[in-house]
Amino acid sequence: MAIPVSGSETSARGRPVLIETARFNLRSLKPIDASERWLGWLNDPEVMHPTNAPARHLSREQLGRYIAGFDNTHNYLIGIFDKTSRIQLGFFFIDVEAAHHTATFNVIIGEKSWWGKGVVNEARAALLDHFFDRLGMGKICGGPLSRNFPAIFNYKAQGWIYEGTLRGQFKSVVDGSRLDQLRFRLLADEWHAIRRKAQRQ
Amino acid sequence: MSALAAAKQLLADAVGLEDRAIPGDARIGAFERWDSLAHMRLLLAVEKRLGRELDPDDIARIESLADIEALLQSA
Repeated sequence: MAIPVSGSETSARGRPVLIETARFNLRSLKPIDASERWLGWLNDPEVMHPTNAPARHLSREQLGRYIAGFDNTHNYLIGIFDKTSRIQLGFFFIDVEAAHHTATFNVIIGEKSWWGKGVVNEARAALLDHFFDRLGMGKICGGPLSRNFPAIFNYKAQGWIYEGTLRGQFKSVVDGSRLDQLRFRLLADEWHAIRRKAQRQ
Repeated sequence: MSALAAAKQLLADAVGLEDRAIPGDARIGAFERWDSLAHMRLLLAVEKRLGRELDPDDIARIESLADIEALLQSA
């Protein structure tokens, strides 16, 4: 769950993601997107600790190198931008296991004024469409920590299926205690059923 | 106070409404005031009332007023 300081450069880069939702633009991030705003999130325990990532001081250059490590094939770093203000609100980091057509979604909303306003599920719905229907994923997983109640709410509100709990999966960056991780999933058919149900309502 | 009344009160406090405004079939995704931040307030209040942290499996299963009621009843 920890966010690495430096990503690994890869040569094979895929097509960047560019998606529009009702309120947001979602796009693959570039090193030039390393901003003081983002650096502030990384240094804010209230933003970082729910994902068990340490709050840390990084330079724009370090953050730029981290961003450059995402190749839009094996892993994706996708920014969420408010269409009105054009401000970045947060980001998804997504790992793909190509052999199995599976992906794991993680998300951080850095702009606290947007917490509780449905950013995650609006953005994630569009990304689920993209990863299932355009990229051919068969299963997508999410793994919030058991104490990350807002994230768990979002998975449940969106219809993800609870698969179980990985007990003591991580060591806390705050106090060294063992942390439990919940596992949620969506199979392609399950997501399509959720979409059909929403259209009927 | 019954478990249902207590559950309603906890949910009402979490969403900032009076308990009589809480629908009997309130559930995540079907009750607009029940958002992610209200959910956090709700679960913390349930833990405070029970005097213990919730088990992760319980946390994962809470999605309706009836689930909260059942949790309080089983305590």
